Amino acid sequence: MKALVPACRNSRTSVGPDRLLTRAAQLRVQSYDRQGVLSVKFCTLGLGTLFLASAALLAQGGLNPAKLGAPPIDTWSTYNGDYSGRRYSTLSKINQSNINSLSLAWVYRANGSVGGSGISGGRISATPVQVNGVLYFTMPDHVWAVDARTGREVWHYRWTSHGGEHIGNRGAGVYGNWLYFLTPDCNMVSLNLKDGSERWRKSICDLDQYYFGSMAPLVIRNHVITGVSGDDLDRPGYIESHDPETGDLQWRWYTVPQKMGDPGSETWPSEEAMLHGGGMTWLTPTYDPELNMIYVPTGNPQPVIAGKARAGANLFTASVVALNPDTGKMQWYFQSSPHDTHDWDATQTPVLIDGVINGQPRKLVAQASRNGYFFVLDRATGKNLSSTEYVRINWSKGVDAKGSPIPNAAKEPQLDGALVSPNQGGATNWPPPSYDPDTGLFYVSASRAFSVYYIYDPSDKPEGWGGNDRGGWGESMIEGIDYKTGKVKWTHKWESGGRSGLLSTAGKLLFAGDGAGNLVALDPASGNPLWHANLGNSVTNGPITYELDGTQYLVAAAGDTLFGFAMLR
Amino acid sequence: MRIGVCVAALLVAPVMGSAQSPAGSREAFQEVCAGCHALETVTAQRRTRAQWQENINSMIARGAKGTPEQFGLILDYLTAVYGPAPTTAAPAGRGRGNAFAPGPADRQIIDPAAAVRGRKVYGAECITCHGTHARGSERGTDLVRSEIVLHDRYGSTIGPFLRKGHPTQTTPAAQLTDAQIEDLSHTLHQEVYNTLRAALQIQNVLTGDATAGAAYFNGEGRCATCHSPTGDLAHIASRMDPPALQQRFLFPGGRGGPSQSVTVTQASGPPVTGRLLEIDDFNVSLRDSAGEYRSFKRTPALKVVKNDPAQMHHELLDRYTDKNIHDIVAYLETLK
Repeated sequence: MKALVPACRNSRTSVGPDRLLTRAAQLRVQSYDRQGVLSVKFCTLGLGTLFLASAALLAQGGLNPAKLGAPPIDTWSTYNGDYSGRRYSTLSKINQSNINSLSLAWVYRANGSVGGSGISGGRISATPVQVNGVLYFTMPDHVWAVDARTGREVWHYRWTSHGGEHIGNRGAGVYGNWLYFLTPDCNMVSLNLKDGSERWRKSICDLDQYYFGSMAPLVIRNHVITGVSGDDLDRPGYIESHDPETGDLQWRWYTVPQKMGDPGSETWPSEEAMLHGGGMTWLTPTYDPELNMIYVPTGNPQPVIAGKARAGANLFTASVVALNPDTGKMQWYFQSSPHDTHDWDATQTPVLIDGVINGQPRKLVAQASRNGYFFVLDRATGKNLSSTEYVRINWSKGVDAKGSPIPNAAKEPQLDGALVSPNQGGATNWPPPSYDPDTGLFYVSASRAFSVYYIYDPSDKPEGWGGNDRGGWGESMIEGIDYKTGKVKWTHKWESGGRSGLLSTAGKLLFAGDGAGNLVALDPASGNPLWHANLGNSVTNGPITYELDGTQYLVAAAGDTLFGFAMLR
Repeated sequence: MRIGVCVAALLVAPVMGSAQSPAGSREAFQEVCAGCHALETVTAQRRTRAQWQENINSMIARGAKGTPEQFGLILDYLTAVYGPAPTTAAPAGRGRGNAFAPGPADRQIIDPAAAVRGRKVYGAECITCHGTHARGSERGTDLVRSEIVLHDRYGSTIGPFLRKGHPTQTTPAAQLTDAQIEDLSHTLHQEVYNTLRAALQIQNVLTGDATAGAAYFNGEGRCATCHSPTGDLAHIASRMDPPALQQRFLFPGGRGGPSQSVTVTQASGPPVTGRLLEIDDFNVSLRDSAGEYRSFKRTPALKVVKNDPAQMHHELLDRYTDKNIHDIVAYLETLK
């Protein structure tokens, strides 16, 4: 909520006249970077989606701007494939009738060991992006480029770390010839797609404050959107936009109000509590080009478990917030978990659905939230249309007039323990869900789980976490939720747990991972398993698909290994 | 937000304070290692557990003599006392090693003796306004949340700040010596680390009514169907502390709990029962009573019946009130 700088003003040395492209309602700015390479910036005026390609951006290996955020066919250009977050592919060469002919085409084992121990290791939680037949993916401190047809390594970039939480990295963003990723030690690094050489690095957070980087940057026109992770100490969350050429900051939006009197400050007891109130931006937003809004899911408030010194709803933590990507100005918010004390946050993908409700076409955004609620909102206004429980939960007293849950104070963490469902892992978590327009169902990796939440720090001013949950029992499943009613249409329970990212396709297939290490294709209409391959480790990312030279590929990660399947017949 | 938080890593977090080494481990270290070289040649360095294990292995290869138990104790000792950061530093990052724990790799390593000295400086100069645990008061800011403190290493930013003149001018901070400032820095970083997750534990779960717990045990909970206070639960409270008791009856399926069994019946042939090893939508495997490994492809003709001995416990999760839970703990605690 400060440093709101209009994006276009940040453009460097303009050469030649700016031209207004009326059809796309975009401003095209040509400039030269330090190496004298012509580049083109676009500053949208809020209406257009058409991009004109320039010679520089179309250089071999670079991402054609027209494909950025477009439905994924021969390219997977963003973390979610397109901007909608629905992870649905129109490809159908791999389909229900031939799925049993799907072949393993290649395997790439990535050595993402930390600290240079030389031993293989690490976990690929990144969704790869695929540009011009090359996959780009990350682990903490590592980026790889591998051939999307063969799995051969093209290059591998290693970052020398200065610390930070190495829990996972969600992937890279791509713009023109450049790749962007975040490091655990608070840097955004830009690499050359061609050879992985480093172009520049920019600090995006302060490691001494225990922030770290893990999200996959999102590129929208001339904005690289980055978020921050880390909830060990009580710091404020924020999301930023950077210039893709220079990395310079365009704007920063704090997820908590910055002074008493600002909107949302009425939900905090004091400025100090608010300024240390958390709300990290762990997850890549989604984007509606027509409305020109990004949908940012925000993290849990701080202190995480012991909420005594932050009475109130703690806006805008654990919320879905719509921002203008050019200015960082908030358009609306919806709070998924008011006064969260269970580390549930709301950093689950807000999926854009162009649907029909009561006969009316609606622009919707839906979230299966970690707290067990499935929310459907009008994505132009943030107005709540439905809030339903997609698993049985025990912590809520229902929902308020705005559709936000009302937490039951007795199920907040207690000194002697409170039995709560879902547990800290949540009814779901970060692994990306999917929405299939053919079935009208929203798919989510769901869990019904219990644990006991304790307050460890009984003082009047607990800090950090001040408590935690312990133990637990639960069961895991895939659910298909009807967005029109919020009702669960089908549930497929896993025998041995499981929680993976999902992908649905026009081939009438839903891809998921179970807890026994299987990559499974389910019938998206019923949840019945149709095909599987055991990868020796549970699927750890969101599977993707693309077509190259007439062949459709399916790529999923399990542990430190990327598996490429193809319909070779 | 966390990705699969490893609860075990949090449970084994060391107690804050001085580095505690397991009983007898220091003696083992001296006995086995001091015969060949000065102990200081070893302890001059800090290493991770894995690195110490490598070190010990290479010593064994060079002829170090000791029993496996002794080498185990030595590993425990060196890791506890000469780990990459003392136990007073930030918690380990879920098995990744301290360099990749939350926070900067060059974070301050607490010298416990200096922190104790610094506590005296703090008590004399700072505590009145900044509070017992440096979390601030109406008179002074929260130092645990202070960026000056978080950016500090051994007095590097706290020192210049104090020398410039403390903002309230109530404390003649400039009179503090360099050594006192460094001591104070250890104290303040200690307070920061004490707010991190691993630094704290369950306080007290013994708040229930043992009589009501016994009534639930024998009545509504139907616990007495399978359990007896004089049989399997005799002296249970001598074997587990109250938090462990609470966790165990709520979630008995965890580590050390009973394992599931499965009975598989093929279209022809007798049913096969055994300990369930792996099951998914496509296959099931078990170890039968003769110790044989058996694996089956799941088809409509194959009947699979799982038997989870903790099933009644799982079902109770939807029925317990928190009061029931605390009462049961109080009752179990009487079974000393």
